[in-house]
Amino acid sequence: MKANNIHFKPFFLAMLALTALLSACEKDNRVEPKSVLTGRVVYEGQPVGLRSNGVQLEIWQRGYQLFTKIPVHVRQDGTFSAALFDGNYKLVRLRGNGPWVDNTDTIEVALSGNTELDVPVQPYFVFQNDTYAKGEGKVSATFNLKQINTTRTLERVNLYVGTTSIVDPNNNAGNAQEVAANIKDLSKPITLTASLSAALAGRDYVYVRVGVKTSGVGEMLFGTPQKVMLK
Amino acid sequence: MQRFSRYFLVFVVLIMSGCAEEWLDRKPQNIILEEQIWNDPKLITGLLANYYDRLPYHTDLNHGSTTDAAIPNKEGWQDFAAYDEAMWSNNDDARNNIVTYAIDRWRLWDYVLVRDINLALENIEKFGTSLSAEQKVQFSAELRFLRAQVYFDLVKRMGGVPLVTKQLIYDYNGDPSYLQQPRAKEEEVYDFIASELDAIKEQLGNGGSNTRANKYTAMALKSRAMLYAGSIAKYNNLMASPISTPGGEVGIPASRANDYYAKSLAASEEIINSGVYQLYKTNPNLGENFYDAITKKSANPEIILAQDFLVSKDKRHGFTYDNIARNVREDNLSSSSITPSLNLVEDYEYLDGTSGELKTRNAGNTDYIYYNNVADVFANKDARLYGTVVYPGTSFRGTPVQIQAGVKVWNGTTSSFQNVESNTLGSTYEDGGLLTGSSGPQRSQTEVTNSGFYLRKYVDQTAMSSTRGIRSDMWWVRYRLGEIYLNAAEAALETGKTANALKYVNMVRERAGFGANSLKTLTIARLQNERRVELAFEDHRVWDLKRWRIAHELWNGNASNPDAVIYALYPYRVVRPGHATHGKYVFDKLVAPRFRAPRFFQMGNYYSSIEQLVIDNNPKIVRNPFH
Repeated sequence: MKANNIHFKPFFLAMLALTALLSACEKDNRVEPKSVLTGRVVYEGQPVGLRSNGVQLEIWQRGYQLFTKIPVHVRQDGTFSAALFDGNYKLVRLRGNGPWVDNTDTIEVALSGNTELDVPVQPYFVFQNDTYAKGEGKVSATFNLKQINTTRTLERVNLYVGTTSIVDPNNNAGNAQEVAANIKDLSKPITLTASLSAALAGRDYVYVRVGVKTSGVGEMLFGTPQKVMLK
Repeated sequence: MQRFSRYFLVFVVLIMSGCAEEWLDRKPQNIILEEQIWNDPKLITGLLANYYDRLPYHTDLNHGSTTDAAIPNKEGWQDFAAYDEAMWSNNDDARNNIVTYAIDRWRLWDYVLVRDINLALENIEKFGTSLSAEQKVQFSAELRFLRAQVYFDLVKRMGGVPLVTKQLIYDYNGDPSYLQQPRAKEEEVYDFIASELDAIKEQLGNGGSNTRANKYTAMALKSRAMLYAGSIAKYNNLMASPISTPGGEVGIPASRANDYYAKSLAASEEIINSGVYQLYKTNPNLGENFYDAITKKSANPEIILAQDFLVSKDKRHGFTYDNIARNVREDNLSSSSITPSLNLVEDYEYLDGTSGELKTRNAGNTDYIYYNNVADVFANKDARLYGTVVYPGTSFRGTPVQIQAGVKVWNGTTSSFQNVESNTLGSTYEDGGLLTGSSGPQRSQTEVTNSGFYLRKYVDQTAMSSTRGIRSDMWWVRYRLGEIYLNAAEAALETGKTANALKYVNMVRERAGFGANSLKTLTIARLQNERRVELAFEDHRVWDLKRWRIAHELWNGNASNPDAVIYALYPYRVVRPGHATHGKYVFDKLVAPRFRAPRFFQMGNYYSSIEQLVIDNNPKIVRNPFH
């Protein structure tokens, strides 16, 4: 009896600990959000080029005590993704945030499983027929600028050159600029030429990207980054 | 049972009758009652001291902010290194590597202090029975000054905020909506500040004090607040897309600009014309005079309001311990945290009125300019440079601060200089001369300058003040006459009174060593630079850039924008035996080696975000733009 007791106690304690551990596991670990909302910010079905780490959308869910926005950052190619629980959400285009006309209409999102969503926007300007060329110690871009919305005016267009595909005003190794005063006629193609520094010119390739700045709008709208082979 | 009831009855009677009066009505020994506080001027003064000490701060001397990444709104003296006046040369690189400023960086929602002041205002009326009417009025005025100062700090960070001027008391009816106040318009908050200050300025008393508010302190706050309101009204509406909300919580109509500028000018001129304050001009050495003007605590006629410290009362701070130049430090750790940037140094003009850019290369940019002494490149500069920055060839507390990056050795075969630098501070080159100075600069070491400069302003010259045992009681200047002159100049310029504007700004410049009437014409850009150099490290820079709406252009996050990047100046001794330049000094300008991310200020930074919890608790609060 006595010997029995000695064996029983550690066993009992071990079982107790195990029970506590197992039950705790169940309680402490919440399910992670499994459904992924992916999407694109589009104009006429085409994704819009943006600055990396610049533009965000916001997602809200009503009916819970803590009502806090879920910020969704849009990538530079205009796509975004967020891992969420299934449910009904409201997606809002933040005012004054992107290079497009403010539109704060709520987009209802019913999420069950992975969902894809296109968020339509109306940019002020878009690029068309953009082509890129290399020269001796320089690169150039030729494109048409189409004005979609006339409530704001053009401020400038830029050509940015970088060593990776992330190219924008904050991440570049060289750029060329043309201000609106020198762009008289939008029906004619515009050419921007950026001269390369010695370090850049010695590389095998560079990435280039065109951007347009609308006056009074913080963010610029960009074309697709292009890899230009120099050699 | 019978007997028990009888004893019980006796006991109850005893409690109810005899003891009740005294036993239950005794005064507590450990709690000060409202009647006691509000009838004792000494206790009220003690309470006021607490409120003065709790005034909101962004960068000051007393609060060191955290490097904890989880805390978004950094505040404290360490953030002197977060803008373009200086970089961080101590351990960690947080402030040299701010990719973007967080939208809640300058967030403030301090309704705890507002409530405490409102409560005090009501209680002094209710309980202050034995105070004289005069005392009551004076203390109330002082409390209202503090409240106006808090509202100014709220509005400059958040835009319009709810104007709560009475205690809000919940009646437990289950519906708190009657306590939920919407945000006032931005202009309404500024108007409230102005009307409060006008109402109390004659009641404040405290004449001659520079640590408690008096009539001129109230006018100093009004001068600054109205200038902010005026420039927001003007410059916000000059933006291609003004920052505003439909309800006016953010944004002031352009039509109000002149009104605000005029009010600011009137408040400034009231201080200037009173003759109570003078620019500090005691020391004939102009550079040291400017340092004294801010740091001298006795017989200083320039200071209007300061937050004072005193070692003997154990009210002190470690600002000098953390920021003193490396080779004059008295403790074995820290030093050299805030090191001024070349950007700031070059904004101090030459006394002949030419641009302050340091002349390090010859006219054709083909060769260095060779200087006999390391300090010669700074000759004939604005004296405020010496008073603000420890630059190569100067001393601190009488000890020379040795600043030399290394030597440049001439290589005859390649016809070029080769840099030799050492990781050992104060080391000697093989020719017997100095290699790297005992105060650096050093490219990668911490606790030694990385930018080539050290901070002088606010670093205490008192012996032992840079030790952890003693620390410093340097005061923190909230308002001084130098700023009031510049406020007056700006308000006068904006309202077309150019002659007055020139008069005021030239007085400030004259103290810095420029001749009388050194400026003949004036632009706002000129005044912006004047404020930058006069008020460096006094918590003005970021707020000024915000109200002029130029922060997003100056700090645009572009690595090729010289305003967004922190530059350093590295002095070298030339080793070229047999040549005329041997033993002379040359200077390299370079991007500070430990500086990583260009300053990036976005449109959403002009007004800080309101915490979601606040909006959840009060649905009438609207969010700021871009958040």
